[in-house]
Amino acid sequence: MNVTHPRPRTTRTAVAAALAAVLLAGTGCSSKADGGSTGDGADGVKSGPGVTDKAIKLGALTDLTGPYATLGKSIVQAQQMWADETNAAGGICGRKVEIVVKDHGYDVQKAVTAYADISPDVVALPQVIGSPVVAALLDDIQRDKVLTFPQAWAASLLGKDAVQVLGTTYDLDMIAAVDFLTRTKKVAEGDTIGHVYFEGDYGANALEGSQWAARKAGLKVVGQKIKATDTDLSAQVSALRKAGVKAVLISAGPAQTASLAGVAASRGLRVPVVSSAPGYAPQLMKTPAAAALEAMVHVVSAAPAVSSDLPGVKKMVASYGKKYPGSPVDSGVLSGYNAAQLMGADLKKACEDGSLAREDVVKAHRSQKNADTGLGTPQDFTDVAAPASRSTYVLKPDRKAVGGVVNVEEAHQAPGVDEYLASRG
Amino acid sequence: MTGLLDNLLNGVALGSVYALIALGFVTIFKASGVLSFAHGSLLLLGGYLVAVLHDDLGFAGALALAVVVTALVAGALDRLVLQRVGTDSHAAHVQTIVTIGIDILLVTDLARRIGGDLLTLGDPWGDSVTDLGPVTVADSRIAAIVVSAVAIAGAFALFRFTPWGLSLRAAAEDAEAAALMGVRLTRVRAIAWCLAGGLAALAAVFLVAFPAPGLERTTGQIALKAFPAAILGGMASPVGALVGSMLIGLTEALVAGYQSDLHVLGEGFGDVAPYAVMVLVLLVRPTGLFAARGAARV
Repeated sequence: MNVTHPRPRTTRTAVAAALAAVLLAGTGCSSKADGGSTGDGADGVKSGPGVTDKAIKLGALTDLTGPYATLGKSIVQAQQMWADETNAAGGICGRKVEIVVKDHGYDVQKAVTAYADISPDVVALPQVIGSPVVAALLDDIQRDKVLTFPQAWAASLLGKDAVQVLGTTYDLDMIAAVDFLTRTKKVAEGDTIGHVYFEGDYGANALEGSQWAARKAGLKVVGQKIKATDTDLSAQVSALRKAGVKAVLISAGPAQTASLAGVAASRGLRVPVVSSAPGYAPQLMKTPAAAALEAMVHVVSAAPAVSSDLPGVKKMVASYGKKYPGSPVDSGVLSGYNAAQLMGADLKKACEDGSLAREDVVKAHRSQKNADTGLGTPQDFTDVAAPASRSTYVLKPDRKAVGGVVNVEEAHQAPGVDEYLASRG
Repeated sequence: MTGLLDNLLNGVALGSVYALIALGFVTIFKASGVLSFAHGSLLLLGGYLVAVLHDDLGFAGALALAVVVTALVAGALDRLVLQRVGTDSHAAHVQTIVTIGIDILLVTDLARRIGGDLLTLGDPWGDSVTDLGPVTVADSRIAAIVVSAVAIAGAFALFRFTPWGLSLRAAAEDAEAAALMGVRLTRVRAIAWCLAGGLAALAAVFLVAFPAPGLERTTGQIALKAFPAAILGGMASPVGALVGSMLIGLTEALVAGYQSDLHVLGEGFGDVAPYAVMVLVLLVRPTGLFAARGAARV
């Protein structure tokens, strides 16, 4: 008995091992074949990973099941709409555009796997959600020369050839926020302002900006660091009131902005609140804090309100409403569509220059000095180390507007931004 | 001074909500020896039910139904899943691990349903506030304190004056002896789970009512803050859970309120303060503040 048992097992193990080896070899081969093929297409345009004679494949690492699921869905739908429109108009470089979407649920491990999965087969990534995800993939993206537009705006993401933060960074937004407060006489020299911020890259970068601008304006900043799970800001409001703040900046999520405004209003701390762009979502207009938000909050953003009069934005909102009736038109739709258009412009430029190989797409991107999609301010991608834009809009929550927000101030560059960037080197 | 009163009121309100959760932990622990890690997901379930039902049933109806359904789900989890492992004290360790699995399953499904939304529960207090002398306090906070007090008093009455309460205390004292005396352990503990589930659903309403903006997928995680409250109270003592909750609520509110004066301890100390208090208390009283004599260390 004891002698006969091991035999079939060893055979089985051997078979399994052989099978595994074959599978591994198979996948190894196939990814090599997909990823390594470069050469000229029939039309003389050099191709590379993700590019064939008929199609250009783009990738999206998004969050459809995690904390940013709403944002992820908006961006995915907006970019798909762009792809459909582009293909209906004949595609890019005579090729159809395809977007491969991978959901990582805001899990860095899953995102790394998803990147490894799709990166051999795509030429660029017009969407990567999540600062920690981008941070984890930064070196891989740079090595593979995959042009990437992250949906994250920390200044720490600057300086990589293949990674492009679109619009302004968090620190510039907060410099603009402080400028808005002083310029509109909401605070004066010597006043104290509060800054409630998330731990991590987002909050840290925003705080850098607010502290710099406050120092220049003769203001004192009282910081309150919070976590994403803190949704009741009563204690923070108590502390800010005790510190005698004349205004509050907030760089957190929508839930925190709503709590801050609601609590502050109820406690009689009726001071202006200025939020970073990710701190607002149209869903907030359905919460009990809606009135307080409308009365107290402004949002600083590199992108205009979706309810703005820009013809490009109006056209996009109309087509989006037709294609996805019932889906909210939020800032994610605008930023996703804008990113896709910019990516399209880069691909067209690369095609004109004769190569859709990854490194040449990056090169084409870095040659764009005045990229304007008509969806906001033009951007300059030539300086790897500088933000693509220095201009910001000031927006205001509004229950009745599309996307729950309206423009208050058109895009402009806050004074001090150039000096700040120069001082940071 | 106003600041201090503000913080104290905040702390009491937070503490009374934590008490609802901690009392659930304690009841379950007393009845079954299980440390329920599934409590956060039950709380999320209760809140979610109120959120989706209040449009049709009104707030009161939705809340009543949510409390009942969450209670039944909790009872069913115990009866159909946990009790299969066994009812002796050894099985309790296995069951504790099983609750982690249940929590992951429940939270994943609820999070999928909630997505990135911020759900409001349609509570009648909205963002209205009341002036109490020098301090302004949200009506939802006053309601939280009052309702928690009533619910907790009710739970204590159950422990004290009903046959079930007697059975529960007997089972907690010595399960084997209680069983020999005719106490039906399976039923006693299933009812304990139901009670804990109902309390969790009630707590959900006050955790997400104004000044918090609404129910999120992460709301359940807040339940974990009641863990140190239950543990430093002695884990098997309802009074301990109550005192522990107040202590944790006050600590959290005061530390966050005086964050700028506590710079030495680093920013964001409010998050770890409850655990620091728990460790300190356990250093002095290793069995918790109100542990029964001879109780196992926690």
